[in-house]
Amino acid sequence: MTITFTPSHPIWCAGCGHFGVKNAIVNALAAIDQPAHDTMVLAGIGCSGTIQNNIDSYGYHALHGRVLPTALGVKLANPDLMVIAAGGDGDGYAIGAGHLVHAFKRNPSVVYVLMNNGIYGLTKGQRSPTAEQIDPTTERSIDGISLGLSIPGSSFLARAYSGAADQLNAVMVAALQHAAAGRGFAFVEVMSPCVTYNDTYADWSGRVTDVTAMEGYDPTSRIAAFSTVHTLAEQGRIPTGLIYQSDAPSYESAWKKEGFNVPARIDVSRSIHQNSYSSIMEKYAF
Amino acid sequence: MTISAKLDDLTIMVAGQGGDGSLTVMNVLSELFGRRGYHLYKSRNVASRIKGGIAAAQMRASVISRGCTGDQIDLVVAFDQEAVTNVGADLSPDAVVVFDSSDKPLDRRNLADSVRVIEIPFGRYAVRDLRRDLFKNSMSFGVISQLMNIDQDEAEDCLRHTLHRLPERVLLPNIDSFADGRKFALADKIASGGYPWHLERVTRAKHLMINGNDAIAFGFMAAGGRFFCGYPITPATEILEWLQKHLPAMGGVAMQAEDELAAINIALGAAMTGVRTMTATSSPGFSLMAEGISHSGSAEIPLVITNSQRAGPSTGMPTKPEQSDIAMMIHCGNGEFPRVVLAPGDPGDCFKIGAAATNLAQRIQGPVIIAVDQAVAQDARSVTPFDLEAVEPHDGARMSEDALQAMATYRRYELNPSGVSPWAVPGTKGGMSLVTGNERNEWGLVTTVPAKRREMMEKRAAKIDHVRADLPKGIRGGDRAARVGIIGCGMQSGVIAEASERLNARGTPVQYLQVRTLWPVLDETAEFIRSCDHVYVVEHNGEGQLAHLLDGHGAFGNLRSLTKNDGVPFRCADLVRHIATFEANTMHGDAA
Repeated sequence: MTITFTPSHPIWCAGCGHFGVKNAIVNALAAIDQPAHDTMVLAGIGCSGTIQNNIDSYGYHALHGRVLPTALGVKLANPDLMVIAAGGDGDGYAIGAGHLVHAFKRNPSVVYVLMNNGIYGLTKGQRSPTAEQIDPTTERSIDGISLGLSIPGSSFLARAYSGAADQLNAVMVAALQHAAAGRGFAFVEVMSPCVTYNDTYADWSGRVTDVTAMEGYDPTSRIAAFSTVHTLAEQGRIPTGLIYQSDAPSYESAWKKEGFNVPARIDVSRSIHQNSYSSIMEKYAF
Repeated sequence: MTISAKLDDLTIMVAGQGGDGSLTVMNVLSELFGRRGYHLYKSRNVASRIKGGIAAAQMRASVISRGCTGDQIDLVVAFDQEAVTNVGADLSPDAVVVFDSSDKPLDRRNLADSVRVIEIPFGRYAVRDLRRDLFKNSMSFGVISQLMNIDQDEAEDCLRHTLHRLPERVLLPNIDSFADGRKFALADKIASGGYPWHLERVTRAKHLMINGNDAIAFGFMAAGGRFFCGYPITPATEILEWLQKHLPAMGGVAMQAEDELAAINIALGAAMTGVRTMTATSSPGFSLMAEGISHSGSAEIPLVITNSQRAGPSTGMPTKPEQSDIAMMIHCGNGEFPRVVLAPGDPGDCFKIGAAATNLAQRIQGPVIIAVDQAVAQDARSVTPFDLEAVEPHDGARMSEDALQAMATYRRYELNPSGVSPWAVPGTKGGMSLVTGNERNEWGLVTTVPAKRREMMEKRAAKIDHVRADLPKGIRGGDRAARVGIIGCGMQSGVIAEASERLNARGTPVQYLQVRTLWPVLDETAEFIRSCDHVYVVEHNGEGQLAHLLDGHGAFGNLRSLTKNDGVPFRCADLVRHIATFEANTMHGDAA
């Protein structure tokens, strides 16, 4: 057996919400029997951007804000991999927000775990695009779930809270199953408090509301989801659980129609393709 | 009329307002000259808009293969006055202007008396006889074909071939229009002057007619490239379009991203899985990709980045050529990391370098930049067929699962003398590893330990030496004993070769070097500079970026910068005059 890297211990502060996220990912990978060598965890920049070091899989540390395009590239080049992108609210809602919009639109079968703590922790406490949770007088927050609901291609929108491990684990398993089945982009926002710069455990514990437990809630109805999310928000509550799931076609399924052949595994030896190359060249004959 | 004497080398321009169909006329003429065995060099001069603005297509047809347009224009087909006014000063003394006089007669104030003008109201006739202004371009071809003494059957066959995609109901009026044009030419004043031109029939082996962008895309694919991601931008978009057309049929992916930041990061993600990957853009887009290029260098991810440069700064002149990103391509991206920058000089070279870059990226596990300019990227020219058999995809240090199993320990960033670490791509059993742009230890875990930092910087830098011997060599020509040198790359390649030929013929001995590897600067470049008393460095930018680069590599104050940044390629005649004058003054100075 070849010796390779051993996952390291997290660098997070004791009590950080990210521990729960890491555990949920590890548990969900085990729950669906996902082989480590067929898994790639990509993370952005920030405290959340070290999570790949702590999981037994292929890992990648992306440029700030670019974890989603990179994850899309991996998935399209090798759709057989389980691709999990992870990052913080700064990475996903500020510098990388444009890519999030297009990820919803394209719907690649990638899991995206966005750890929202309302703050830039690694640079010691600057405000993030969800800073409203700390200071209600500041700019209003970006709500990733509402954003996803507004884009017709979105297919899996969930929110969990790292202070509620059972729900977080269940949501993560559902997200991995959604991606593993090739159903598209599984977006999971995890409310994940920063104990050092924005300890919101007490606040959030009292506000999270699991929509799954609401009587008659239908996660396949985009309109019901929109209505519920905004009704709860107006009541000062934080909707969690599997909020919306659809059968919108995945991005890679569109490619599969066109003779797609897992680009990462194509044998590109000249002898195999020379006839094709020659016939293309012939079109330029002069 | 003594025009027939120069029919071995003829430059033609068809010009009008965008949407006039100038390009179609030029396509029929290329078909005609191609069948007669000429070599062609075609360029377009268009505004960055869909319709309107001056649109001109230019073509040099020559018996000898040439890599640039001619000094002067011998034949102009113009659909409006502005086109003639613009081109007036560039006409040869015995040029012929075929003018659409539908609106009013030609104002020939800026034309030399010796220029012959043939005025026919193409647009008016086309509307009168065929009910559509657009048929005027086929009519103009009818006139030109008569002017060149091409018989009706041959000319019509060329027209039919060029328009073969049109439905019969559109094709037939075009043929009628063409026949009308021939009749008008007969009836008009051309008759009084006779038909001055007689095209040669020469034998030329089969060639390809292709532009640089298409050839780069083809070279990439032939070397096993199966993933492309880009964002539309002039003048690089043809690479995206070519690969969108051809890669899916090969099982690959060519996709359009939401912006250049996404494009290069999608490309990095794909490249990590082992598929040979390229992105392509033009100057402002390349600026946006800089962070990703640095990441490719640091994280050790093989990636080809093509920059089809346009005139800057900022959004600059999108449809005009420039070589003003040379310094950026060599230095862009934060920090220091190994990279290769290659500069092909014509479409044949674009194919070779497209393939070479794809293999080199695998071998250095890092960024390889292909530097072209709008002229090389978009001008089409006849080149010898590509040597497909010379291209074999190279895996570099990629490991199969079996090779991995045979290792006791696998470290993604293993230190070794070549600097290139063995690499197991995601999906390989037992190869789990970490890839990062942060400084890291051999396992890929972040570190700032000074000794490890030094080792890792040295490891990455060593990769260039690992491939140095295989970097594309320059092309040398001219008088190898000459003490005067000329250096250029990209769009200068054809001009400096022809200028060297003319200078040597008129008694000014020169030799030239077309540089094909810009970075690292090869020893051969330094040796060339040292072998000359002085060297003219010809480039399209204002600051002499290539000269500055070479100043630190072998030059001893003996470089003379010849620069231009007005969006118009150097004319060979200007370059010859410039160097000849400089040399005459130098000799005079030496004598004094």
